[in-house]
Amino acid sequence: MAVITMNINYFPTLTLVAFISLLTGCNEGDKLTLNERSIIYCSEGPPETFNPQLSISGTTTDATSKQLYNSLIVYKGKNNTLAPSLAKSWHVTGDGKKITFYLRQDVSFHQTSYFTPSRLFNADDVLFSFNRILDKQHSFHYVSGGQYPFFESIKFDDLVERVEKINDFTVRFILKQSDSSFLANLATDYAIILSEEYGSKLAANYSNHDLDILPIGTGPFKLKDYRVGSFIRFYRHDDYWQEKAKIEQLVYDISPSKTSRLTKFLAKECDVSSYPIAHKKITDRKDLTLESITSLNVGYFGFNTKRKPFDNKLVRQAVSLAINKQALIETVYRDQAERAKSILPENSWAYDSSIAEIAYDPERAKELLTVAGYPQGFTMDLWAMPLQRAYNPNAVTMAKLIQTDLKKIGVKVNIISYEWTAFLRRLSQGEHQSFLLGWTADNPDPDNFFTPMLSCSATDKGSNHTFWCNEEYDQLLKQALKTNNISERKNYYSKAMAIINEQIPLLPIAHSKRFQARDIHVEGEILEYFGGINFSQVSKKPAKSIINQVIPQKIEALLPQDYTDDEIITEKVKN
Amino acid sequence: MLTFTLRRLSLFIFTMFALTLLSFSLSFLFPGDTVINHSGQINASATELAELNKSYRMDQNIVIQYGAYLTHILNGDFGLSAVNQSSISNDILKLLPATIELSLVALLIAMLVGIPLGFIAAIYHNKVPDSAILSLAMLGYSIPVFWLGLLAILFFSIGLGWLPSSGQISLLFEIDFVTGIQFIDILLSDSPYKWQAFRDASAHIILPACVIAVAPATIFIRLSRASMIDVLASSYIRAARAKGLNFRQIIFRHAIRNALIQIIRHVGLQFANLVTIAMVTEVIFSWPGIGRWLIESIYQRDYSAIQSGLLVLSCFIFMIHILIDFIYAGLNPLARGNKYGS
Amino acid sequence: MAREKVYLEEVFPSPFMQLWGIFRKTPVAMVGFCCFIFLVVLAIFAPIIAPYNPIDGNLDMILVPPAWHEDGNVSYLLGTDDLGRDMLSRLMYGTSLTFGLSFIVVVFSLVIGVVIGSISALTTGFKSSFLNHCLDVVLSIPSLLLAIIIVAILGPGISNTVWAVAIVFIPQFIHITRYAVKEEFRKDYVLASRLDGANNFRILYYSVFPNIVERLMSQATLAQSAAILDIATLGFLGLGAQIPLPEWGSILANGLERFYIAPWTVYLPGLAILFAVVATNLVGEGIRHALKLRKDN
Repeated sequence: MAVITMNINYFPTLTLVAFISLLTGCNEGDKLTLNERSIIYCSEGPPETFNPQLSISGTTTDATSKQLYNSLIVYKGKNNTLAPSLAKSWHVTGDGKKITFYLRQDVSFHQTSYFTPSRLFNADDVLFSFNRILDKQHSFHYVSGGQYPFFESIKFDDLVERVEKINDFTVRFILKQSDSSFLANLATDYAIILSEEYGSKLAANYSNHDLDILPIGTGPFKLKDYRVGSFIRFYRHDDYWQEKAKIEQLVYDISPSKTSRLTKFLAKECDVSSYPIAHKKITDRKDLTLESITSLNVGYFGFNTKRKPFDNKLVRQAVSLAINKQALIETVYRDQAERAKSILPENSWAYDSSIAEIAYDPERAKELLTVAGYPQGFTMDLWAMPLQRAYNPNAVTMAKLIQTDLKKIGVKVNIISYEWTAFLRRLSQGEHQSFLLGWTADNPDPDNFFTPMLSCSATDKGSNHTFWCNEEYDQLLKQALKTNNISERKNYYSKAMAIINEQIPLLPIAHSKRFQARDIHVEGEILEYFGGINFSQVSKKPAKSIINQVIPQKIEALLPQDYTDDEIITEKVKN
Repeated sequence: MLTFTLRRLSLFIFTMFALTLLSFSLSFLFPGDTVINHSGQINASATELAELNKSYRMDQNIVIQYGAYLTHILNGDFGLSAVNQSSISNDILKLLPATIELSLVALLIAMLVGIPLGFIAAIYHNKVPDSAILSLAMLGYSIPVFWLGLLAILFFSIGLGWLPSSGQISLLFEIDFVTGIQFIDILLSDSPYKWQAFRDASAHIILPACVIAVAPATIFIRLSRASMIDVLASSYIRAARAKGLNFRQIIFRHAIRNALIQIIRHVGLQFANLVTIAMVTEVIFSWPGIGRWLIESIYQRDYSAIQSGLLVLSCFIFMIHILIDFIYAGLNPLARGNKYGS
Repeated sequence: MAREKVYLEEVFPSPFMQLWGIFRKTPVAMVGFCCFIFLVVLAIFAPIIAPYNPIDGNLDMILVPPAWHEDGNVSYLLGTDDLGRDMLSRLMYGTSLTFGLSFIVVVFSLVIGVVIGSISALTTGFKSSFLNHCLDVVLSIPSLLLAIIIVAILGPGISNTVWAVAIVFIPQFIHITRYAVKEEFRKDYVLASRLDGANNFRILYYSVFPNIVERLMSQATLAQSAAILDIATLGFLGLGAQIPLPEWGSILANGLERFYIAPWTVYLPGLAILFAVVATNLVGEGIRHALKLRKDN
């Protein structure tokens, strides 16, 4: 008995001493180097897959496209010009039906614990990547569900006749008809190149499924480790064909909760945070910065036009009229967004300002409800997306506001939310009555709004969760794609906009900015103008040099931007 | 001691029976098909389903079904998670050690802080330090743990920037999974950053462990105070005093030892309490433990995970309970007496 | 003791009144008791006193800080939340949910627990042993964990939470009643009434209950402070009261999102919970203290 008591007496002192010496006896030198060589990114959700061909969710492309893969061509700069990537040049024939790509010959695939490439990138890989989508007989077509939402929404298989290998480093796409958005679509985050060699190896091992789980690409980073729903660890791809990434390790810390993401960022547990809330808190701190990019996106309130009561156009109109969009923008977006007048943002060249938006008019809404046969109103389900995206930073709050708005015209709203993957799955099964979601453009072509969101082809498996299908509208989009004449195209799109405004399969709410916060030690562009993020250019400054010299200059350089942001936000908070 | 062991054993068997029976019946109570709730295979094909029905003996009577279910559990097969189709027993094996680690550290802190404070309060019985400590204990006992956790993060992580707010260790460090107890894994790993990782892990555990420790510490204060007051009032202390030992000697040589034994008895019950608090705290500090996992499973209506998680967690708590009972009985022969069936 | 009565008449105050006499003299306990009464009143009259509706927000008044803040507004004394709902009104209504429901829950489990406990105290042998084993299993599982288990089975929601917490506390009351009744039954006065021919029920009702009521009350205060915390914790975890009910725990969880720009939406409900639990615990401590003093006398 005595022995035990003795132990109890001595134990605390010993542990305490050990503990304190551990905590204080710092030798920070080594840790800094590890820290300097790595970036931790607090992301807003887990990727559904590691292959962006299979998903249109921005969270998935953020985690995969620009990190793990390359596409044939890319968008560069603010002018959105197409630039070479894996294809060093390309050629389009006069009729626009044949597009030839000349490929780079020095591109190597990732070498990982699960795959060692024996050859460089060549035409076979391009064929493999696109035939997987196009060819239903392809041994990988039905792996992971056989659904390629983006490609289905742009009717890729109707457009592309075949892909030909001319020689090892030349491929040619043969189109059925000319399409002015084809190149733009190939430059998106979805049209990435997989490794054919890896595919054959997996097929030989009967583990085809791994193609989309254990990814192999040509991008600046390779996958090291993924713990489901917790974190993704990338290592640098040392044989990257472009300038290799400056950091050696990239970790995505998956933190779906907005508050805990901000907490981690403020406590410096991550270097970069996606979609931060409480902007003022960040701009107040001198060691953190907030950046934003105006991205082409739209947040909307969609109706399932295949289910009662929203199969009735009048009901959709009535509900749309009853919603006070301005209040939503002030509350949910904290005024960091423009009110959406149509699904197309006003800065797109195809936007037609002559088409009137659906204004807030609850009186008229009530009348329409009566005409539609619901004088007493009705009860509806509203599905709010569970996570935060630029186009909708807080769908649940928005849903609550809509609930209040609709109560005024006698419509009772039940708010429903599922975990993200389940949410998307159930949406595509059409279990919903109405929903809050949005769309972020992958390229600046206006077709990227009209076709994926509302065309008939996007209905079944793709991205049109309203299940609205209008022949005339689809026809207009098709005609718009056939021509290369800008003013003609604009004309078609403006007619399409008018149809949407009249039918209201969805109510556009806002076009927002995408925000990101980072530690000032982190340098280099991360946010890309379209869609995703890219860490290949990012580096971290050594902390010491910053303390010694860089901070004063850095702060001065940041002040003007900081203050403007600060003022706007402070004012809104006071309101 | 034999009767004591037998009694405990019978209690243990009874409890395990009750818990597995509860867990088994949950499959019937939860919505959906029973066999799917058992196995979690939501996407099972017709043949797989037939196979499952066979292995869970669904065509037989309920007793045999229960037997088949028990066999599955004893083989470590808890089925698959309905949400992401990962093996639940694997998930639990990975997450439970993290919870154990956190709870043990918290228990240690609670005892190290609570017991001495309780003794001090007892020694100064009915004086200022006593009432100060008691008021503090009352406050600690009343404060909602999730709120305390938030305040701690706000103050120590963000305000002062001293301690990290989430997770077990910074994601920069790659520590291979061996035992699941982070500190042991770090020591076993061959990472060049071993000692930094160790320091980082220690910094990560302080805040959640302290938050968890607050409520149990107040209980330890009360317990140790009460037992010390009893001891100080006992005749052998009076005898010691009469022998001419000074106060210090009495306290350190006699009183503390005897008071401690009484406290050990309650450690088991407090550990259970502590694990529950840890579940909530894990959510706030994003600790990758079984509590957070279980609560997320409840959100997502992942019935097979809820069922197995509850079973494992309650078994674990009960085993600790019995273990502490044995330790107490080992230390204190008086406790081996009759307790049940009176 | 000075007796001013003409006739020598021994009037003993009932045990309960004795207790109240001692209780009244402890200032801290009385403060707690007043707070407790205040909360009870608030819980009952919240709909009348509260200045605003707790669910409908005023969208022009979003995230107004409390009145003492420089940007505050006196008509919203404790500020508003992200939907422009008045925090004061929400906290008032929350009193009837968190505090009021916990009170009802405890009374409910107390009644059930006492009935079962008294019956079990009168049984012996195998049945008693079986019950003991069951109680031991249930009591070794912490109340919050058990509540989480039950909510997991029933599904989230305020009514399910109430049921869960009620079920959780019944075993505690069974245990304490059983123990207390057994102890009382060994005493001589029970034997006396038994010799008078009283049956078990009569003894229980007239002799035993008046003597154990304080102990039950003391246990009830413990249970209530735990119940408040459990209901609030479940609400915080999103397993209890659902949006938009103004339950304290869920108000706090709701405010988390705006923690950094509107910290009062987190501080205030936390303080409310703390206040309610401390008040309850003070009352409990007062009763226990009084019990001890009465015993010592």
